Amino acid sequence: MLIVNLDSARGALVQEGRELLAAMEEALLAIETEGYTEERVNAIFRAAHTIKGSAGLFGLESLVNFTHVAESLLDRVRTGELFVEGAMLSLLLTCGDYIGSLLSAVEIGTEAQEPDEALRAWLLTQLQEYLDGTASDTAQEVAPFDEPYARVDVLQGEPVSSDLWHLSWRLSPEVLRNGMDPLSFLRYLGKLGRIVYLHTITDRLPALGDFEAEACYLGFELEFESNASRQEIESVFEFVLEDCLLRILPPHSQIEEYLRLIRELPESPQRLGEILLQSGALTPNELDQVLTRQHAEPQPAPPLGTLLLESQLVPQPVVAAALSKQKQVEDKRNHEQVFIKVEVGKLDQLINLVGELVIAGAATNLHALRRDMDMVEEAAQAMSVLVESIRDASLSLRMVAIGEVFQRFPRVVRDISKELGKDIQLLVTGADTELDKSMVERLADPLMHIVRNAMDHGIETAEERLASGKVASGSLRLNAYHESGSIVIEVSDDGRGLDRQRILDKALQRGLVQPDQSLSDAEVYRLIFEPGFSTAEQVTNLSGRGVGMDVVRRNIELLRGEVEVLSEFGRGATVRIRLPLTLAIIDGFQVMVGDEHFVLPLEQVIECVDLPPQEGRHHLINLRGEPLPFLRLRELFNIGGRASGRESLVVLQHGNSRAGVVVDQLVGEFQAVIKPLGMLFQKSRGLSGSTILGDGRVALILDVANLLQRASALSVGTPVRVSAGGA
Amino acid sequence: MAKTILIVDDSSSFRQVVGIALKTAGYSVVEACDGKDALGKLDGRKINLIVSDVNMPVMDGITFVKAAKQLPAYRFTPVIMLTTEAGESKKSEGKAAGVRAWVVKPFQPPVLLDAVSKLILP
Repeated sequence: MLIVNLDSARGALVQEGRELLAAMEEALLAIETEGYTEERVNAIFRAAHTIKGSAGLFGLESLVNFTHVAESLLDRVRTGELFVEGAMLSLLLTCGDYIGSLLSAVEIGTEAQEPDEALRAWLLTQLQEYLDGTASDTAQEVAPFDEPYARVDVLQGEPVSSDLWHLSWRLSPEVLRNGMDPLSFLRYLGKLGRIVYLHTITDRLPALGDFEAEACYLGFELEFESNASRQEIESVFEFVLEDCLLRILPPHSQIEEYLRLIRELPESPQRLGEILLQSGALTPNELDQVLTRQHAEPQPAPPLGTLLLESQLVPQPVVAAALSKQKQVEDKRNHEQVFIKVEVGKLDQLINLVGELVIAGAATNLHALRRDMDMVEEAAQAMSVLVESIRDASLSLRMVAIGEVFQRFPRVVRDISKELGKDIQLLVTGADTELDKSMVERLADPLMHIVRNAMDHGIETAEERLASGKVASGSLRLNAYHESGSIVIEVSDDGRGLDRQRILDKALQRGLVQPDQSLSDAEVYRLIFEPGFSTAEQVTNLSGRGVGMDVVRRNIELLRGEVEVLSEFGRGATVRIRLPLTLAIIDGFQVMVGDEHFVLPLEQVIECVDLPPQEGRHHLINLRGEPLPFLRLRELFNIGGRASGRESLVVLQHGNSRAGVVVDQLVGEFQAVIKPLGMLFQKSRGLSGSTILGDGRVALILDVANLLQRASALSVGTPVRVSAGGA
Repeated sequence: MAKTILIVDDSSSFRQVVGIALKTAGYSVVEACDGKDALGKLDGRKINLIVSDVNMPVMDGITFVKAAKQLPAYRFTPVIMLTTEAGESKKSEGKAAGVRAWVVKPFQPPVLLDAVSKLILP
């Protein structure tokens, strides 16, 4: 069965060989014309390899021997040890031709005769020259395993190549006493590779009289040739590590290898040490040493990378590569974290449900309190703490950085300043301040108005600026920060500031103020938010039609926010917007007037004081020496009846102004889920929303800003329209 | 002449397997079933390496090594300690007693042979 008809197979061999030679030639020519590719070199190598293998089956020694030499050369090319250049291509093409002639001889059965002895000899010489050019012919061979204890080959005087491991090994005097023989480790090292050079360090040898027979005074410097990893090399010295100093310096080629491994590591979050360990550039033992050193350093300890470089354990390019890998992974992770997209509808639904949960929790609390059931009350309390956490967490889901709004302004400022012919620099700070997503969308337009106004009216032309001693380029600043439960957004410019007189003139002209009225600066500046007010003498493309600032104020107030202007004439102006952090839920303070419940935003409640009965006739009270305007909710909302017993005064603050409201009864803190008012009540001033109490009753949420305005108006005796409102 | 290794372990099957492995590698082997037995084997004969377990009846490995290091003829004999415990306390006790080489049980015979060959040649 093993008898094979070799003659028929011979034809197949020759045919296959010719096809392979054709492919080889094609690839060689492609390299010559189009350049080196791995695929082409592999194709040539495979051709030679297959021909050799098949020829071996037939015992075609001449063909096998010649192809083997060519294959060796191609292998070197394939592994990058040799570079293909013109002369080598010609040589390989000629080799192909010669192999072809050998195949032809096989075909006609004359393989025993050498077709061209001179050519063969010349080709072999040429091939051998290339092969001799690379020195690693014999060194690459690994010590065979049937010779387990290879000799320690110490070759003196051999040139120290940079492609060797360098080992510095200093032994402690205790080594011998601990039963360790340095020579046995060196012998063992010989199993992993070849000790190319060994220098014995005898500096520590004492004078003969002080010489202790049992102490070890030696150290060694070794050049070591090996394909072993750093870890494998270190493990040779495993049992003596505590009694020696060992420094392993990788060869240059190994550094390349570390760099490649570091690049190819999976992108999972890692510490510097872990990256170096995984690439093998550092052994766990070395890492431990450095970490111990780091702990011993005074705080703040230098970073690991610095220590690694100082101790020369890891070459600088490897540390750099590991650090950049670390950064790359972090960046990627941060990037991934930024984009967790959730449908807004789902979030709204969640927050709505949490709102209902808050109400239900409040109801449970209320019932427990009324029934005087301690256990239930305690459980309800614990639950409401959790519900509050859930509320905070779910609200934070809606929070986004205001940078989302700010990011469109660099472009806007650039375009507008070009259009206006002004040089204006934009400075953005606090872009990572968070606010409710729904506000971000509704904030963009007002901010755009304010920025345009500031650039158009606020900042002067370069000539004007220079004339008034300012730098030619104006600057516009966008800033955001959190302050006592609100987010504050400021748009500041370093322009001419607001002109109090011009605003007053205009206001008089429009009948917004009376000639005999005395107004504070803040009140004057607030006039620019009145409908139809514009002081710009020219109407430009951008602003000055007087439809800007009142829209801004309306938009901000719809967000339960407030807007104010600070200005210093000639120096610049700041528009400050103050917004609540969220629109969905507020911490409220519940009060009662008659049978009606009202809720005040807790963050605006400063204090509660008793109102002495004789006070309160003039809508002004002396609170610790300060006059405080106040109003009565009973009067404001036309609630009949009289207060039974003492009334309380709740002191409120909004922005910079304070006022009090008089109520019958203080109920306490309460988490109010804001339910918007129906269409019918949208216009009623003094109310910002409604909420449902634990017992199912409806309470109105008061608009503190409006209340304060009314109170101060009442206190100075100015008649104020009281708009209709009620539960 | 072949180097002699003293194997100290209370499991006879363990001694047998390790003994065969070491003998195959060209060492000669002396066996002891606990620390006391092992001290008795340190009777002046040449021992090039001691391989000892930690946990043994009668006399544990650490006590044995301490005692062995007191014997002038054996105080520089290298010791490989076999441990199943990752516990550092035993290890530091061993270090104080002069043990530097550790092999963690369970292991395949080649692991021990490798450790042995780092310390002595057959």
